[in-house]
Amino acid sequence: MSFLISILEQGLIYGILGLGVYITYKILDFPDLTVDGSFPLGAAVTALLITKGVNPFVTLPIAFLVGMCAGAVTGLIHVKAKVRDLLSGIIMMTALWSVNLYIAGTSNVPLFSQNSIFKGNALVEALPKGIKPYATLLIIFVIAAVSKVLLDLYLKTKSGLLLRGVGDNDVLVTSLAKDQGNVKILGLAISNGLVALAGCIFAQEERLFEISMGTGSMVIGLASVIIGTSLLKKLTFIKATLAVFAGSIIYKACVAVALAKFDPKAKNFITAILFLVVLVLSMDRKAKVKKNA
Amino acid sequence: MKKRFVAGLLGVALVAGLAVGCQKQETKEEGKESYEIGISQFAEHGSLDNCREGFLAGLKKEGIVEGENLTVQYKNGQADMGVVSQISDGFVSGKVDMVCAIATPSAQSAYNAAMDTDIPVVYTAVTDPVAAELSDADGNGVGEVTGTSDQLPVKEQLEMIREILPKAKTIGIMYTTSEANSVAAIEEYKELAPEFDFEIKEVGVNNTSEVALATETLLTGIDCVSNLTDNTVVASLPGILDKANAKNIPVFGSEIEQVKIGCLAAQGIDYIALGEQTGVMAAKILKGEEKASGIPFETISEPGFYVNLEVSKNLDIKISNELMDTAVESFESIEVK
Amino acid sequence: MLEMKNISKYYNPGTVNEMCLFEDFNLKIEEGEFLSIVGSNGSGKTSLLNIICGSIPLEDGQIYVNGKNISKEKEYKRNQMIGRVYQNPSLGTCPNMTILENMSLADNKGKIYGLSRGTNKARTPYYQELLQQLSLGLEDKLNTKVGALSGGQRQAMALLMATMSPIEFLILDEHTAALDPKTAELIMELTDKIVREKKLTTIMVTHNLRYAIEYGNRLIMMHQGEVVLDKKGKEKEEESIENLLDKFNAISIECGN
Repeated sequence: MSFLISILEQGLIYGILGLGVYITYKILDFPDLTVDGSFPLGAAVTALLITKGVNPFVTLPIAFLVGMCAGAVTGLIHVKAKVRDLLSGIIMMTALWSVNLYIAGTSNVPLFSQNSIFKGNALVEALPKGIKPYATLLIIFVIAAVSKVLLDLYLKTKSGLLLRGVGDNDVLVTSLAKDQGNVKILGLAISNGLVALAGCIFAQEERLFEISMGTGSMVIGLASVIIGTSLLKKLTFIKATLAVFAGSIIYKACVAVALAKFDPKAKNFITAILFLVVLVLSMDRKAKVKKNA
Repeated sequence: MKKRFVAGLLGVALVAGLAVGCQKQETKEEGKESYEIGISQFAEHGSLDNCREGFLAGLKKEGIVEGENLTVQYKNGQADMGVVSQISDGFVSGKVDMVCAIATPSAQSAYNAAMDTDIPVVYTAVTDPVAAELSDADGNGVGEVTGTSDQLPVKEQLEMIREILPKAKTIGIMYTTSEANSVAAIEEYKELAPEFDFEIKEVGVNNTSEVALATETLLTGIDCVSNLTDNTVVASLPGILDKANAKNIPVFGSEIEQVKIGCLAAQGIDYIALGEQTGVMAAKILKGEEKASGIPFETISEPGFYVNLEVSKNLDIKISNELMDTAVESFESIEVK
Repeated sequence: MLEMKNISKYYNPGTVNEMCLFEDFNLKIEEGEFLSIVGSNGSGKTSLLNIICGSIPLEDGQIYVNGKNISKEKEYKRNQMIGRVYQNPSLGTCPNMTILENMSLADNKGKIYGLSRGTNKARTPYYQELLQQLSLGLEDKLNTKVGALSGGQRQAMALLMATMSPIEFLILDEHTAALDPKTAELIMELTDKIVREKKLTTIMVTHNLRYAIEYGNRLIMMHQGEVVLDKKGKEKEEESIENLLDKFNAISIECGN
């Protein structure tokens, strides 16, 4: 049971990161490597604020805003300095490594003795006894659900439509007398805001900031998006944003099983096989897309 | 269509793997004299492997032997925090009798997962348990957690360097900015250096690819190099030694393995011994003789002096007889890996 | 009124492959004119449209709209007053969005794309009315993704979307070239209807000489970055396909193709 809870907790946290990757990878068609830096950025900001005594719940919006700034800078590098998408992300990821060290002060900040959104606040105390063991999962679930619903709502606004338009057909957006560059910057900002939010929650759940915690998070986000949207594409009533969470939970479950069952060295191999299976399963979709283009 | 079939088959195989994987690996043997522990190691690394080896040896010394009355689940986090966290959660939900965590992030994650349970965590290779918030300032665990620190004996190291190189002025040290242990060690070096009339030149890198370039920076304007237990730098040590040798600059190590492969000398740690010390602590806790919260964390009581005679001959540096007498181990030749 | 003055445009400037397309090119388009442009491949027709829209930069010269110099204005800003339909039907619509969402996007052109609801229910009957005049049955498929429509259907939508908001110029870049003859005819008729209704100044590039003759009130033929034929009003009405074809062949032979 607690094994399952752990998978759900992790899956939901990384699902929020997946939402961010969904915006860049699926909507904007922008392979954004900033994620590897903005995930620990959210954690670093959280560690700094919490050790300074700021209310843990306040760190959530702040981490989101700081992440937005990071994403916006990636966008500016790409749009204004005309650096290629992949490289803009790499530049930002590299820079954020140092930024994160400066923000957190050191490469490893434990938060064991601090309050968090999961511990030592009125909200958790107020929960009925029977629910308390699931408090962490519950809080993560609420934040994940709110993020998902807000993103869904945003994508239906005029601004959201325009964002989807840029990924779909940037020529049209220019025809609509809108600077597609600005829309891209906005999309990258929202995406990295979500990623930093995930980092903020992860740091509080692990009660730890560690500089290397962002390494590979882009891949996890990508895996969540691809697994989720590919496997669940037949179920049209499931929204893509929900599918991302499903993908993230499936991914984390596979990692957990790979850890339990196989030699630790084989973990990445198992992950690669999983990737391959999902990609091959979704192959027919890709062919269709090509024909339509 | 065929492709989808194959993919489907692979998928089914994976799901089957999942199903089998979900079954618990081994059921605990009957009788209270049998234990199950989980070892969570942060990354693949020689020193950390030595810790694990020593840890099991320490348990064995106390009569807890793998395969007889001990079941060991060994997991490696591959330096990925998400994985490390899942390993900790897996151990806790599998209700092991103890988690042994090797290296700081693993120790913090294991403690975080086991905090609300009665599963004790015993760590090793954590340089500064106080800074990592695993221990209070008096050395007592913040919960059911204790272990050993691999803090470098910086003072002894500086003393040794002064004795071997009486005229040396500047010591160069390379470290990785992301490794808290190294940053802490650098601070200590800088604090203690004036006492021995040394200056410290620090060169920070972010990853392995930067080491080669940083080595050139490191090796200018210094008299010798002192090496930490920094994972990234240690992995690139052979290359650094080559360049230093070419310039006739002596390189001091921080643990036995480094001296073996060509560092001149070290006042350092033997990670196998450190692991053993940890294993003995763990045995006491497993047997119920002590609670983890009742044992303060320990450091290596006496650093050992290690020296490589082939290197000293190559560099034409004489090691005094008094110092030689204190050597725990001396190596006649450079071990080529 | 649109006026192009002393336009110069080179491709690959400063390299050995430098190619001069326009040199000191001038063209004046009066308000309410429906101008058809014909010419061989590489004669500069599409480049002309791109220069007007700002999709490609100019080496020299100015573009005036109602007396205002817009040559330095960015493409997206100029598009405020320009509606453009491309040859490729997929460039005028968003394939992964529904018909309703596409129409809503276009409906909002010139206004702020803020956080209000993207699709306005109150406007739906208006969209349906617009779609109805296409007689393609799209009015009943508002929630269908545009990617599922045929090229002709998409082009019809692109035309509607380009002319939905108040614009001054309609730019048609071989917008019937990728369609079958029947659909092309339908799109052309629709174009004419919209242009008349909204009194748009229109510039249409086409390879279909019949369309160039039948529609619009001015016709120019371009060759190697120059206007070689310019007929308007009565002169244009008297022009015939045969005549145009002769002229066309004459300039082509000069080139040797």
